[in-house]
Amino acid sequence: MKRKIHALLTVTTASALLLSACGGKENGANASPSAASPSDSAASPSASGGASSPAAGGKLAILAGNVGGKTPEGNTEFAKAIGSLTGLDVTLDKPASDYDQKVLTALGSGAKYDLIEVSDVAKLRAFIAQGVVTDLTDFVQGSAELSDPSVIPSGEWEQLKGADGKIYGVFSKFQGATMPIVRKDWLDKLKLQEPKTLDELYNVLKAFKDGDPDGDGKPNTYGLSTSGLYDIQGIMSAAGLKYRYVMKDGKRTIPYASDAAIPMYEWFAKLVKEGIMDPNFITNDTAKMRNLFLTDRVGMITYWDAWVGMFNNLKQQEDPKTTFVAAGMASIPASDGTILMRRGDPDFWIIPANAPHPDAAKKFLEFWHTKEGITLGSLGVEGQDYTVDNGTYTLTETGKAANMDHGVPYWYNANVKSPFPPLPGVTEAMALSKQYATLELALDTWPDAEKIVTNYALKAMSGQMAAKDAVAKMQKELKDAKLIDE
Amino acid sequence: MRTLKRQGMLYIMMVPVVLYFVLFAYYPLARGLQASFQDYKLMGDRPYIGFDNYETVAHDPTFWNALWNTLAIGGGILVAGFLAPLIVALSLNEVWSRGFKKTAQLVLYVPHLLSWVVIGGICIFLLSPDTGLVNLLLAKGFGLAPINFMAEEGWARVVMVGSAVWKDMGYNCILFLAGIVAISPSLFEAARMDGATRWQQLRYVTLPQLLSTMKVILLLNTLGLFRIFDQIFVMRNPAIASKVDVLMMYTFQKGIMEIRIGPAAAASFFVVLFTLLLTVVVRRMTRFDEV
Repeated sequence: MKRKIHALLTVTTASALLLSACGGKENGANASPSAASPSDSAASPSASGGASSPAAGGKLAILAGNVGGKTPEGNTEFAKAIGSLTGLDVTLDKPASDYDQKVLTALGSGAKYDLIEVSDVAKLRAFIAQGVVTDLTDFVQGSAELSDPSVIPSGEWEQLKGADGKIYGVFSKFQGATMPIVRKDWLDKLKLQEPKTLDELYNVLKAFKDGDPDGDGKPNTYGLSTSGLYDIQGIMSAAGLKYRYVMKDGKRTIPYASDAAIPMYEWFAKLVKEGIMDPNFITNDTAKMRNLFLTDRVGMITYWDAWVGMFNNLKQQEDPKTTFVAAGMASIPASDGTILMRRGDPDFWIIPANAPHPDAAKKFLEFWHTKEGITLGSLGVEGQDYTVDNGTYTLTETGKAANMDHGVPYWYNANVKSPFPPLPGVTEAMALSKQYATLELALDTWPDAEKIVTNYALKAMSGQMAAKDAVAKMQKELKDAKLIDE
Repeated sequence: MRTLKRQGMLYIMMVPVVLYFVLFAYYPLARGLQASFQDYKLMGDRPYIGFDNYETVAHDPTFWNALWNTLAIGGGILVAGFLAPLIVALSLNEVWSRGFKKTAQLVLYVPHLLSWVVIGGICIFLLSPDTGLVNLLLAKGFGLAPINFMAEEGWARVVMVGSAVWKDMGYNCILFLAGIVAISPSLFEAARMDGATRWQQLRYVTLPQLLSTMKVILLLNTLGLFRIFDQIFVMRNPAIASKVDVLMMYTFQKGIMEIRIGPAAAASFFVVLFTLLLTVVVRRMTRFDEV
């Protein structure tokens, strides 16, 4: 009897398990009964703008990685501000970390958002293939705001088109480029000019190491630091090498894995061997790299153009008498004079295929590119991040800490001017970006190819492996895995 | 039926626990199994494609490399993570001073409370080639050139195994000490009366009596062998990835980074299969049921 009862219980439990597992609908939108809408989740750091704002225009659920407040409280105020400016009942989820994973979990579990912020073109391609995103071609072309070239230059839309030529996203901000950022005050102190060739760059970096540029009498500075292979484009430009894929006569090539890259890796290995390059460059994250730059430990890093202004601003806020001056630099030109710089993947919004309120999402997208939307995305919430008195804008302490960046530090709309002067050095840096920076080619096979390229490139740069051998191994593995055509 | 009536309250008390496991363990497991047989898309139709995902994974050399890495790192952690706390526990048992014993236990246990993010930061700080304490000692003490422990393939697995053993040594040590304390003092007394030395007491009383605890710890550690993830996620970098990327990292990369849910689910069921096989082998080898 006892055995029968146990067997019965086991069978019942197993049946329940199987039924519950197979009972889910195949439709992605309702794939999981555990899927919760953002506002249903108790643990979700949702900020609702609907509580104190009118909901005349309907509801809007947003999942954002960059757009929003800097704190949970700030995020709540930000959602309220969107609500009051658009007349929508807004829910804004801004995860504190692991954003990409949360986006995927949300989409996979059937959670419903009207807008999701994405920062990766390869992800957009994957989302299109997965049937996740809504075609926005007709909406963009029919929108007086978004189709205006002075709001968003027409050519920019190419970035957000799928292989079928349709537009699947709308920009959330203007994305800049990465570049070498140098301590201009150190250059001046050591009576050096901005380097234009690889040899000049070597001399400058060596002087940063040996010349005691920080003036403390100790040999405690490095010439150059990076965060892994991110982002040495400014230096690889000297050999005319572009990162990721380059199509040559219809064939996939990876310039960083070509023979032309060998002398460049040898050049980096020489820097490491001579103690000119930070030996921790492989394990550095970008925060550590920035800190080294801000704390006078390194004279040059490679990072975003917008950070030129932020570095200078941070140091000036810390000490108004600081001598610190960061300046963006053009990449080292190749022998034919070509300057290669890396433009970052765009930041953009998608409307998921299961969005419950796509019309509200479209209303927001148009608003986001108006003066009010741009002001909210850059300065933040009036009264909290800034005040306006007789047309004069003043940043509050909270606003100063946010560095005029609530997801939109820079924007496309040429008709909207910032009420504040640009941060020091950023105009010159962005001018270089606009002149030279180009997008990288993101093919589906890049994630697999990237592992091979970064692995051997870092070994060659750090001197663990001869550059010639590293490139030969790269080429062999890439060809064996059919990741390049030649 | 009489048993059910008599123990009804116990079954009712079990309901929340059973529900917890059904909802948060078995249901996701069943959905994962389902996804491993589908051309899984985030939205839209998800047709069944038989064993295609399993074939994709089985033909991927990266998967087999990850399996080898898992066995190398997990095996290292299994062996060193078993022996090191055992030796420390036996040594601490020989210490007379209660204060020293308690302090040593506390110091050993603290790393277990730290997250891998903190441990990873400590490792980078200690092992840095320019300012790391270890390299400074190697340079001052032996005149050695700096070693980039965190970025050289030759050291990558050693660092992973060493840091994992260090982190969990205190926890396993406490389990062993609890087992040692539970041994009847009369056995030691009898051994002493028979003239047994300290070593003989250890060899013929302590270790045999500790066998059941050792089996439990070995089995628990075996179950976790294929699930190493947090540590690798935090401490890996592209230069050592080919030597330290384990099976769970492969699953993460396929599923989250490349949005290929089907192959990721198939890979995770290979992990389940390997764990089951290894557990059966370890149970047989240790004659677990004869405790």
